[in-house]
Amino acid sequence: MLRYVIRRLLLIIPTMFFVALITFTLAHMAPGSPFDLNANRPLSQATIDRINRYYGVDKPIPEQFVIYMGNLLKGDLGLSFTRQRPVVDIIGQGIGTTFQLGLGALAFALAFSIPLGIISALRQNTIIDYLSMLVATIGTTIPGFVLAIFLIYIFGVSLHLLPFVGWGSWQHMVMPMFVLGLGAGGFLTRITRASMLEAIRQDYVRTARSKGLHERAVIVGHALKNALIPVATIIGPATAGLITGSFIIESLFNVPGMGRLYVISILQRDYPVIMGTTLLYAFLIMMANLTVDIMYGVLDPRIKVR
Amino acid sequence: MATAVTTRDQRAAELNVISRKQRSLWGDAWYRLIRNRAALVGLVVIAVAAVVAIFAPLIAPYDPLAQNGPKQLMEPIWTKLFGSKFTDPAYIFGSDELGRDILSRLMWSARVSLIIGFVPVSIVLAIGLTVGMLAGYVGGALDDFLMRVTDVVYAFPDLLFVIIIVATLRGTSLGEAYDGLLVIFVGIAVVNWVGVARLVRGQVLATKNREFVEAARAIGAGPGRIMRRHVFPNILAPVIVTVAFAIPGAMLTESVLSFLGIGIRPPTPTWGVMINEGFIVFSTTPWPVLLPSFCISIVLLAFTFVGDGLRDALDPRSKM
Repeated sequence: MLRYVIRRLLLIIPTMFFVALITFTLAHMAPGSPFDLNANRPLSQATIDRINRYYGVDKPIPEQFVIYMGNLLKGDLGLSFTRQRPVVDIIGQGIGTTFQLGLGALAFALAFSIPLGIISALRQNTIIDYLSMLVATIGTTIPGFVLAIFLIYIFGVSLHLLPFVGWGSWQHMVMPMFVLGLGAGGFLTRITRASMLEAIRQDYVRTARSKGLHERAVIVGHALKNALIPVATIIGPATAGLITGSFIIESLFNVPGMGRLYVISILQRDYPVIMGTTLLYAFLIMMANLTVDIMYGVLDPRIKVR
Repeated sequence: MATAVTTRDQRAAELNVISRKQRSLWGDAWYRLIRNRAALVGLVVIAVAAVVAIFAPLIAPYDPLAQNGPKQLMEPIWTKLFGSKFTDPAYIFGSDELGRDILSRLMWSARVSLIIGFVPVSIVLAIGLTVGMLAGYVGGALDDFLMRVTDVVYAFPDLLFVIIIVATLRGTSLGEAYDGLLVIFVGIAVVNWVGVARLVRGQVLATKNREFVEAARAIGAGPGRIMRRHVFPNILAPVIVTVAFAIPGAMLTESVLSFLGIGIRPPTPTWGVMINEGFIVFSTTPWPVLLPSFCISIVLLAFTFVGDGLRDALDPRSKM
């Protein structure tokens, strides 16, 4: 087990290297830079040269990459092109908000999806089951930004119940967390239902029932305990998905998190910030995937990891 | 005419009529699919959307790009019932901030969505099937390469990877081709082919040592024939299900990109572009944003229903 974890952790290094290489190459394939000659902001060639030297983009691209990787190992992600501040600081400022949003959405998703999935499975093919599956399907299918538009229209524009710009008070958090949580929750509902359906047909459940246990003890103590294993392992990637997937929701609701920062940097072509956020996202996803595999081994001794 | 007594032959004949016709494996799956009510509704919605998309130039009441200055921001005609004064019977769904007919724009948008749904997914399928089958059957260096590539691509958040590709290539000639359509194809294909390849590889690995493949090998079938006649038909079901979900995935990607302003270039109408452009006037009149949002939701739901139906139809054991 320990050897497996160490091997997987070591595998993160080459993967991160290639993620950096690909993003870096793409960023430098793009023609132009934010400092190009532009009619609204006339700059002399000498000024442009000075700016390029300041940001180190006057050197050959392979050399720039080597310098970037060297700084990366020291925890330095370079300077933002548009904000005149280190990328690490900018990301550090947004990451707290993004985690707050992501964890809030996760809490909401778990709170509704697990009970809904269990009830669905226990009342399979009843109206309750169909309704909760419909909610789950809507949650997973309709894109977050479209759902957000409907909510903003109903609760923000028409009813004036909730603010839809900014972050801070709990009222600001309701809609972004709801929209973000609904998608993840829809997925978790499906998983919970499917694995609960499988669990209640297992022999150990029949045994528990035949030895005269109370129905509640059978469901909670025997079926549920096993049914939640796949659910527990999905929570890692679900969280990673919530954090990396929040960029549209953050832009839409003007939440000052990492996701909105990412979108703004893309639109402004602020490559150091794009590089930094992408690397961080990739790292989070790899850690989440690793957690799943480890969790499986820990929670379900039947599965042996190599 | 009523005969009380039926002979055994008559009854047998009746039974023959009732008993269903023999069906092939795929015919059986099709039957299960259209018996699934949600999937059937989904198929109908997709068919309607496809007809609208194909015939948009003929049935759209206006040119989707034609601006009509004095008729800006007309509301849909049904809002008249609720007291709206800004309706015009000539604009059933109203008009946008430039006075363009929303209905016509919605219809033309369906064209782009359909193209985005099918073209990149075909590319993904072609690459994924070829690489996956070779990696699974031949193995070796190609297999190792595929696994390393998937490790890297899986580390990227899907949508963010497409965004990086499309955003950085936007300024190049590739990014400008066909109003930005081509670079979106490339982005979707680059990010998604590995998933299909890895799925196919796994399926081929699981299939290639089954008895019927060994039997084929034993009677002298070559690798090409084994792949085509024996392995391929048996790995098709999960591939079809994956494709069924990849199509709405690609459409979603386009609408997200266009919504962010880095997808299809305006004024070409797509639902994402319409939402992006309508957002400026959202608090004045929501219709230029709400109507395309409805269209996206309905089409994506339709594809998901069909995808779910296909999964249940092709693999009756897995019900999720």
